[in-house]
Amino acid sequence: MTKFNPRKLITSLAAASLLSAGALQVSADEHPIKLGAIYILSGSAATYGQFAQRGIDLAISEINDSGGVLGRDLELAIEDSQGKAAVAIQAARKLVYEDQVDVLMGLDSSGVAQGLVPTIPELQKPLIITHAATPDVTGKLCNAFTFRISTNVAQNMKAAAQIAAESDAKRWTTIGPDYAFGHQSWEFFGNALKDIKPDVELMGDTAFPRFGAEDFTPFINGVMDSNAEGVLISLWGGDLVNFVRQATNLGFFEKDMELMFTVGAATEVLTALEDRMPEGVWLSTRYWYDAYDNEINRNFVKAYIDAYGNPPSYNAEGAYAAVYAYKKAMEATGNTDGPALAKALKGMSFDAPNGKVTFRAGDHQAMVSPNWGRSGPMHPEHGIRTLEDLRVFDAEKVSRTVAETGCTL
Amino acid sequence: MSGLGAALLNSLDIGLLLFVIAVGLNIVFGVLNVINFAHGALYMLGAYLAFTLMNLLGLSFIVALIVAPLAVAVIAVVIDRLVLRFIYERDVADSLLLTFALLLIINESVRMIWGSGIHTVQPPELLRGSVAIFGDTLYPVYSLFVIVVGLVLVAALWFIFNRTRAGKIMRAAALDRDMAEALCINTKLVVTGVFAFGAWLAALGGVVAAPMRAVDPGMGDKIIIESFIVVVIGGLGSFPGALAGALVLGLIHGLGGRYLPEINLLLPFVGMALVLLFKPNGLMGKGANA
Repeated sequence: MTKFNPRKLITSLAAASLLSAGALQVSADEHPIKLGAIYILSGSAATYGQFAQRGIDLAISEINDSGGVLGRDLELAIEDSQGKAAVAIQAARKLVYEDQVDVLMGLDSSGVAQGLVPTIPELQKPLIITHAATPDVTGKLCNAFTFRISTNVAQNMKAAAQIAAESDAKRWTTIGPDYAFGHQSWEFFGNALKDIKPDVELMGDTAFPRFGAEDFTPFINGVMDSNAEGVLISLWGGDLVNFVRQATNLGFFEKDMELMFTVGAATEVLTALEDRMPEGVWLSTRYWYDAYDNEINRNFVKAYIDAYGNPPSYNAEGAYAAVYAYKKAMEATGNTDGPALAKALKGMSFDAPNGKVTFRAGDHQAMVSPNWGRSGPMHPEHGIRTLEDLRVFDAEKVSRTVAETGCTL
Repeated sequence: MSGLGAALLNSLDIGLLLFVIAVGLNIVFGVLNVINFAHGALYMLGAYLAFTLMNLLGLSFIVALIVAPLAVAVIAVVIDRLVLRFIYERDVADSLLLTFALLLIINESVRMIWGSGIHTVQPPELLRGSVAIFGDTLYPVYSLFVIVVGLVLVAALWFIFNRTRAGKIMRAAALDRDMAEALCINTKLVVTGVFAFGAWLAALGGVVAAPMRAVDPGMGDKIIIESFIVVVIGGLGSFPGALAGALVLGLIHGLGGRYLPEINLLLPFVGMALVLLFKPNGLMGKGANA
């Protein structure tokens, strides 16, 4: 493209002269910077995509109101992954080649992330994952263009294992969805717990119902008859709502068991369950809106509640923070070139609602930690359970070392 | 033994709810020769209407149980008159395409009207909580209610098909529409009526399911796959087939999830494959021309 082309020069000059006077102010750089997002926007988990989109919209309107990035407005192009890897790959290609987005973000499911991440280098655009938690995408599947701003399964399960180790429960089992997320949650939880407390028993009879199983009664009965003392529950979304209601009916919560819900404090789920989420069980989330006392978080939570009427979920926070991460990277490079942005994100620190966040250079995983708490009384205004005994873990202590991740960048 | 009793009862309540939904799919196929992909979407509409009537308007479960299925039946009449009637004579594959489009339209409409959120509906006061039936094993009262509703419908449908004029007309229209017309049966009316009846059953299933399952925009897609498995196992277009298929799938879920949790994902499809292998028309299927 560097070859000199006299005809092109003449046409360009002619065009430039035609565009004299005021029209000249419209330089090529003033068209908006496009963010391409891929979330689940239909089906059972559509509520997760909706929260993410709200987080993005909020960040974009804040940034555009204060002058944009590099003097240009931000604009969103969003696609539905339907929770399927093949659909997400199509969507990413459409966003990059057809909509000409400058950067990519999103992903709600581990299965989708495992499928999409290996195809990202061919697109030459950075991708910030804001939700999907499989350790693989910042582990053995890592690549130069993929980053994750949210907590991964390994971080969350290491924190969970610390809480589990403090309890009296010795015999542990799990109920989780029958795909990457459920199985990896149990595997990482078990390994971390064995490290801290070698005398625990990880039971052989585990329950992995189909994702979207609707009736969890057989599995609940199975666990209740198994004399487990602790149960790790990694069901999420509509599955978790179904599970909690059916478990309540069967007297599951009256048994003396330590119960840990790995994504139970998702506001999407708490809103649906209201006071039917039992009190006194351990609930985790990648970000709890009430856990961080800093100015960015206060402003974010207030703006979010003002705009949408309910507190932000972790998915909204991850998406919101990712937009600001891209802003910082673009201001550092002074342009929107994909490979340059990927370089800028590597090792970059920025301020997010959950404090100062750094994309670790070795595996591109954000150094963030989960929040765990016991479900408490209902919040008087927000209509969801509060979290008591709130625990915010040190990201350095719950993250795997780069060597452990298997990522070689 | 108490565990097995609870698992069997659980299989029955999963199976009978599936029956209520799948039998509508089967009746519609039998009479209209249409495989209705949108059947699950109609089930979802029933559940969302129940949510609206009960949670937003504060009406009782009984009202929802009566009003929501009727409202969905009316919507079905509109769908039939506007689009479906053009494809009665076409190949079954065309009906799959058209009803798949309907499914997408209804799914998106539900999301536009009610949003993407997950909702819950509380069972009526009388049916909350659980009772001890097998020794100390608790069983939810609402699940017993589902079993009762299912059994009542099995009996009512059997009666309608075998003992009433309306049922005989339906069966006549299913067997040979031209002959039925020659005998002065208004088959157009029958066909529309059957489609509305199928939709009524789907929506009734939705209202019954709402108090124990999450009301969310994906609930229709989940149930339609299950219903197709029921139909494959039981046999397309037959009423006893829908019952047999639903009970078999209920047992697969209820016992499989309880005793073989490691392979529960596989079991429904193993069941389906075995039936296709040994009885290609389904357990009760008589043949493709029924």
